[in-house]
Parts: sequence; structure tokens; C-alpha cells
Amino acid sequence: MIKTIDLKDAVGTKLAHDITEIRPGEFKGAAFHKGHTVCNEDLCHLQKLGKNHLYLIDLEADEIHENEAAAIMAKALAGRGVVWKNEPREGKIGLKADTDGLLAVNVAALAAFNMIDEVMCATMHNHTRVKAGELVAATRAIPLVMKRAPIERAAAIAAQNGGVISVHPLRQGKAGLIITGDEVCHGLIQDRFAPILNRKLIDLGCEVDRVSFAPDDAEIIRRAICSHIERGCDLVLLSGGMSVDPDDVTRKGIRLAGADEVHYGAAALPGAMFLVAYIGQVPLIGVPACGLHHRTTVLDLVLPRILAGEKIGKKELAFLGHGGLCQDCPECTYPHCAFGKGS
Amino acid sequence: MQDFDTLLKKSADAHGHLCPGQVVGVRMAMLGCRLIGLDEPTRIDQIKKLIVIIEMDRCTGDAVAFVTGVKLGRRSLKFIDYGIMAATFINLETQTAFRVISTEEARDLAPVYAPEIPEKYPRQIEAYKRMPDSVLFRVQKVRVDMSEYDLPGPTRKKVSCSRCGQVVRDNREVVQNDFILCKPCAQGAYFREAKEIIWPDMNWTPAQEEDQMFVGKALRHESGK
Repeated sequence: MIKTIDLKDAVGTKLAHDITEIRPGEFKGAAFHKGHTVCNEDLCHLQKLGKNHLYLIDLEADEIHENEAAAIMAKALAGRGVVWKNEPREGKIGLKADTDGLLAVNVAALAAFNMIDEVMCATMHNHTRVKAGELVAATRAIPLVMKRAPIERAAAIAAQNGGVISVHPLRQGKAGLIITGDEVCHGLIQDRFAPILNRKLIDLGCEVDRVSFAPDDAEIIRRAICSHIERGCDLVLLSGGMSVDPDDVTRKGIRLAGADEVHYGAAALPGAMFLVAYIGQVPLIGVPACGLHHRTTVLDLVLPRILAGEKIGKKELAFLGHGGLCQDCPECTYPHCAFGKGS
Repeated sequence: MQDFDTLLKKSADAHGHLCPGQVVGVRMAMLGCRLIGLDEPTRIDQIKKLIVIIEMDRCTGDAVAFVTGVKLGRRSLKFIDYGIMAATFINLETQTAFRVISTEEARDLAPVYAPEIPEKYPRQIEAYKRMPDSVLFRVQKVRVDMSEYDLPGPTRKKVSCSRCGQVVRDNREVVQNDFILCKPCAQGAYFREAKEIIWPDMNWTPAQEEDQMFVGKALRHESGK
């Protein structure tokens, strides 16, 4: 139960919640913390913050204070690789990455959680690369005091399948590169794909085992794939030959190599002719020629997810569609843009 | 209790079609029974312990009744017309009761749980299968004061209406000015302009049907067909 008292009668009472002060452009935070005992010197400051009345809280058995509620929710929301401290600030608790990796948000559970009255949780986008210590989500109860039952129900929803928010470390893959195309293989033009893919893989913590070159010949591409896998590569990237021309035989080579699952086509631009296949547990990624021209493509959306242990199939490639349109800005600001943020 | 998929198929067959309400109803019944500690509500040793009060006459209600096996005639199924997607499951032996309420937010969450399905009803069916109970339902522990006249078992009381003579069972009569009346006489009825009639073949009995079948067989036998 909450009781309102005049500020003049508040001296000696304990504050029921943090009292926020905002000085535009300068400061936003707690001017007074929950539990602070109000003294005469505070009255003028509190009046300047617009406080002429304060709350006194006397919790009923079935009621809960916002700080306790925030802790219950934070515990339930936090999955693997996410940590939090029971130090609510203005009723909020932040959840942070415990490791470098890829953020995984159970979007359905998050929506279900937020549909419960009087609770909220906001997160970074699903599949965002994060660093250890980075704030990835925050939660709070909205009123100062509320019933305990909805909080416990929200926590039950959040706790399903190990929490709503997790951070999955990226595995350090051993990658093989196959650059396809007669024009490169026969030295008509110089390859520019390998350095680009090499840089992206190293940025993600992978080791590039070997780069091989193959002409537009499905059988030679097959042999190159098998050779990389025999050498222990747990990730194979193939560039070129993904289009619709008669010379584009990379897909055929992948099938000949024994891929038991091939997903061709992604709902993202650039990168519509992207391919993901699997030979056993080894993912094969077909990178279309757009990867040469555009700084950021569908590869940048999918590769971290594969390294984070996600199995990419038809559904995952289809769901890229919402937010999958790169604006091709003169100066690329990815990942600080909308590209890939809708899935 | 059988598994969810089996129960859903059988319930949908009995109901006439598979719909989102069937999914919700089967799950509501499974949850309700679990809460009151009955794992085989249709088995003879549990059947008499269970009463279910259904608050809506929608597809969900049929599924709840199918899965739990409660029946109006056994007095294990009660219908309270609240128009609320809820049912209360009562264990008469332990005197525990839980009211399971289908959440409204589950409808809004269906596109999030089954985004790959564009059509509304198939999407709801799939989404309601995927949602955990915590999203699909709210549950209240409740106390239900059951009159002895509402319980299963033989008729406990019979009286006759002092106006129309109709026999009224189980304390459903109304006393007005010391006169015992049936509810239609005392309070008005859902029907009006009631008038007794006669109808064609009003002396029909099932025995006649058997006689006709016998005659038909005999005729076919005589004609060699």
C-alpha cells in the first residue's frame, strides 16, 4: 500500500524510491536514493525537483517493490553469457554481456514478457555482435509497487528455454577458401575476393587454413571442397559461380561434394544469390559476387550466426527479408544501421 | 493421459474441425488436470473426482470436455455462461480447484510465435502449440462452494410445480408466497407461446423399427435377394 505525505511532514522518513534529477544536456540520474532518510536540508532540493509530496510504502503480503521486482525479472531474463548486478538504479537493472559473442534474443518470449502489465524489458537487436561488459538489455517494473503474481508470471515466461537474452561466443573456426572462376584461375584477372573474405574471417576470430582456386568446373570444385574438409576445415567459403550464367557451377560442385542440405537464395540485398549448405556438421557458404563490391553483404549477417552455433536453413535466410535491404550509403556505417536488424 | 497430438486429433474429430480453440481447449484441459493432480481423468477411478465448470460455449469448451471426459449428464460438466475463455477444474476428493483463463495477449503474440505462417487461423493453431502454458494461460487458485444438489449421484430431491405440475429435480424450484414453482412459471422462460401439439407418427417406438427391419429381411429372403 502507498501513502502520500506532504513534503513538510517527510523529515525523518525514508524515501520509497530513487528520485531522479534531470539537468538537460548535463545530468540524468538519482539525486536521492531509495532508503535515504529525508532531512531538513533536502527539502529545498526536493522542491526544486517538483516534489511537494512523497510516498510512504507499507507493502501488503501480496505486493512487491519495484526494486525486488526488477531483480526477479533480471534473474529470469538472463540466459547463458549474460550477467547482472542486483543494484537497481531508478528501478532499472541492466543486463550485460559476460563474454564477447553474438547476442541471442528470444523475440517471442520477449514479446510475451512485455505483454504482461506493468513490466518491461528492452534489448539490443537479436544477432548483434557484443563485447564483454556491454549493456545488452534492461528491465524494470513500471509502477513503484505492484502485485507479486504478475511479476512471477512474467519471470516464468522469461525463464523458459534458459532465459530471453543470451550471448553465444563465436567459435574459432578453421576456414577453407575456394575462389572459383576461370578468369581468376587462369590468371586473366587478379583475385580480389580472398583478401576480403580473409579479413572478415579473421575479424570474427577464425583462422584461414588455405586458399584454393578452382575453374568453372564442378568436379574440380568438388575436389577442392573435399580437400579442405579432409584437412580439418570446419567451415568452407566459396566465392563466385553463384549466379545464373551457364558458367556458374559452384552450386553443382557443392552438391557433388556430398552436401546433404543446400539452401540457395537469401532475402537480403546485397546477397540474394547467397548459399548455405552442410556436409555433415561442416557449413559451406557460397558468397555471390556482390561480396566483392559491397562492404557489407548478407555474409556479414549470417557468418557470425554460424560461428555462434546457429544452424542456418531456409527459414533463417527467408526471415532476413525484413530489414534485409542495404541502403548502399556513400559511407557505410554498418553495424550502426538498420541492415539485418529485422530478423 | 494420452499425448497432446493424439488428444488434439481425437478432440478435433469429435468437434468436427481443427481450429485454434481446439488447441487452446486441449491444452487448458491438460493443464487443469495436471494442477488438480488427475493424470487420467477419463479412467473409472478418477472420473468421479472431477468436475469442470466451463465459462464459454465455444470450440475450446468442446475440447476441454473431450479431454477431461466430463459430461453434462454425469453432472461433471457445468456450464456457466460468462462468455469468458476460462474453465475451472475441481478435484472433489482433495477439494482443490483452479480456474484456467486463456490470455488475450496470446492472440496478439501469434504472429511472433509463428511468423512463417501468413494465414490467421493456421498461424494461431501453430502458435498456440508453441507457446508455453505461462503465455497461453493465467491460473487462479479458487474455492468453489458446490451445493450438494449440484454433485454427481442420484437425484436428491423432487418436487412438483404448484402451477403447472411439472416435476423439478435437485432443488431447482422457486418458492414464492409459500408456493413451490418451477422456474418457467416463477421467472419466465427462454421460450414463449408454449402450446401442446400432436404430430405425425406420434405412436412410433424403437420396437417398430426392429419389426420393420425383420419384415424387410424376410421379404428379401422370399424373393431370393
